[in-house]
Amino acid sequence: MSRATESEDMHEISSESRTQAQFRQRVRTWCEEHIPPDWRAAQTGVSDQEFARFQKAWFAELHSAGYAVPHWPREWGGGMPIAEQIVLYQELAAHDAPRLVLAFVGIHHAASTLLVAGTDEQRRRHLPAILDGEIWVQGFSEPEAGSDLASLRTTARRAGDGYVVNGQKLWASGGMHADWCLLLARTDPDAPKRKGISYFLLDMATPGVEVRPIRNAVGDSHFCEIFLNDVQIPATNLVGAENSGWQVAQATLGAERGMTMLELAERLGNAGFCWLVRACPTDDPLVADRLAQFETEITGLRGLCRQLVESNDAGTAGAADASIVKLYYSELLQRMTDFGAEIGGVAAHTDLVKSASSGWESGSWVLDFIGSWEWTIPGGSSEIQRTIIAERGLGMPREPSVA
Amino acid sequence: MATEFEEFHAELRSVAGDLLAKDRSVEWPVLVDAGWTGLEVPDEFGGAGATFAETAVICEEIGRAASANSYLGSAVLAVGILKALQPNAIRDELLCGIASGTVRAAAAVGSLDFVADAEGADRLLVVTHDSDGTPVVVASAGLAVTPRPVVDETRRLASVSTDGIETTGALRFDGDPEAAVRRLHDRAAVAVACDSLGLSEAMLSATVSYAKVRHQFGRPIGSFQAVKHACADMSVKISVARQLVVAAVDAVAQDRPDVDVAAAMAKSYATGTAVDIVGKAMQLHGGIGYTWESGIHVYLKRAVLNRSLFGSPAEHRSQLTKRYV
Repeated sequence: MSRATESEDMHEISSESRTQAQFRQRVRTWCEEHIPPDWRAAQTGVSDQEFARFQKAWFAELHSAGYAVPHWPREWGGGMPIAEQIVLYQELAAHDAPRLVLAFVGIHHAASTLLVAGTDEQRRRHLPAILDGEIWVQGFSEPEAGSDLASLRTTARRAGDGYVVNGQKLWASGGMHADWCLLLARTDPDAPKRKGISYFLLDMATPGVEVRPIRNAVGDSHFCEIFLNDVQIPATNLVGAENSGWQVAQATLGAERGMTMLELAERLGNAGFCWLVRACPTDDPLVADRLAQFETEITGLRGLCRQLVESNDAGTAGAADASIVKLYYSELLQRMTDFGAEIGGVAAHTDLVKSASSGWESGSWVLDFIGSWEWTIPGGSSEIQRTIIAERGLGMPREPSVA
Repeated sequence: MATEFEEFHAELRSVAGDLLAKDRSVEWPVLVDAGWTGLEVPDEFGGAGATFAETAVICEEIGRAASANSYLGSAVLAVGILKALQPNAIRDELLCGIASGTVRAAAAVGSLDFVADAEGADRLLVVTHDSDGTPVVVASAGLAVTPRPVVDETRRLASVSTDGIETTGALRFDGDPEAAVRRLHDRAAVAVACDSLGLSEAMLSATVSYAKVRHQFGRPIGSFQAVKHACADMSVKISVARQLVVAAVDAVAQDRPDVDVAAAMAKSYATGTAVDIVGKAMQLHGGIGYTWESGIHVYLKRAVLNRSLFGSPAEHRSQLTKRYV
């Protein structure tokens, strides 16, 4: 493995500018000095409170170095050039840094929504607060609105200087830690389904909001149900125009897909692949062949992510590029963790907990494999992604509508 | 800088696409007139002084057209060998000849049993060993060549006999000869990966077009998820293959130290998935796809042969696995 890493290193360095190389060195030094040693062991089997404490502390650490929100505009505390962001995430992955889990929705979805469609007042209220640790959750899916998100039923009824919300949200990841929620609710029940939805910022401390964790297949409970009973939202917390929530969500949902996928691909290529090599009897040619296949595919994925980031930045990304990356990552993750579980044998089944704050591959292969469905199902299932790739990418005919 | 190259490549690609679309077989003089045989030959020998990056564009377009021609033997392999040699009058003369079209050369890189475009070549370049065991190149006009017809009718392979071959006065590699031979193998493998990428794209495009117009059950078959999801998978594989091929072409063109790794990844992935992709194209075309007339079999046979040329996917992956120990 050492040769593989070295030659990739040489490649990275030979093809990058002096400033990038200097920045890479700076990030490396920072990683060596700031990543808590043995954080994986320390974060295995911890309580929810300890997980949240660790996440917040790590976020603050990254923030003080200027590495927490490099993708934000400069005036809000970001402004790092794309080439340096790529280097940053490569190095965080190479040094096996903890992953930002709790802050994810806030720094990506909430921020991009506020930047694209929010009012100045909303930005001033929330962007600095996110940097201070405000946690966000996404309230989109419902029991009857999964892949067909636009059929959501939660209602927001205009009442005086605000709205009254009733309904139920599902799969709200990290809901029990959240201070605020990105909420989609129906404001016009008579309009066609995509034209009657509005986008709200909901304070989770509002009376009538109840959060219940749902235990998932792995045994974790980070997914939540959110029950909304006569919840009042002031009109100032509406994002964009009333009934334009679907458009706002479309414009901001995919905004984070480039760089966050690049980070995950880098993690898969660093720690993920190294653990797999370490777990494998590499003198078995059949096993070694599978490893080489995975290494090849990860290399392709890393290239795809890099291209997506660069073409997003240049405004030249194709309509299905983000879907290709999401689909390929999800299924590669699933195949790799499956292989890890197979190679690990019965012993791999004795890992009953994996370290919190880890990437989607932690080396606890059986749990990682079970957890990989958290990629192939949410965020637009693999089936939905294939339909998007065929229809928007290849221009194939749409399914005739039933209604 | 990158944009300048991109524009040049786009133009080269478009011209090549038009020329190759005319006929399945393209004769040597047409390749010469197009300036492709001398693409990588240095200016002073009458060539265009381009790099492997431009050769790769032509290889990809040749694959897209499943074109039958002698570009691989001459411009890719023979020119590749000649450029790796120490300066020498014979080398210079051959480079001039290939660029001007007066000499059609072929080259044995790897197996002597299946040498591309050897039949009827004016000169054969054979990589062999001198009496000290050092790799050298013999340029010969008189070796016995026996055609080895293959199922893929777009390629011409032949066995070459080296009986009585004379290595005194053989041409010598510039720099480390063993490394030079390894790089020739990498170059050959990447050229074939480009071909497979081009033919994969051609088959996806043909399948998508067909699925839009072919109706069954009162609707275009492309509106069925079983069909569109299969096309989406072809598209994803092509996107990944392109990343690996572009990285490998870059590594060959710039002679980067990681060229062996990049070449092994590109060759194994692009030529392996090309077979899946063309196979799926035949499947989605239904009965018509299985006919001789549809021509999809031409692509399938070429894809299957490409997978075997210059190292199978498994052989290339086994090179990668040496780094895991």
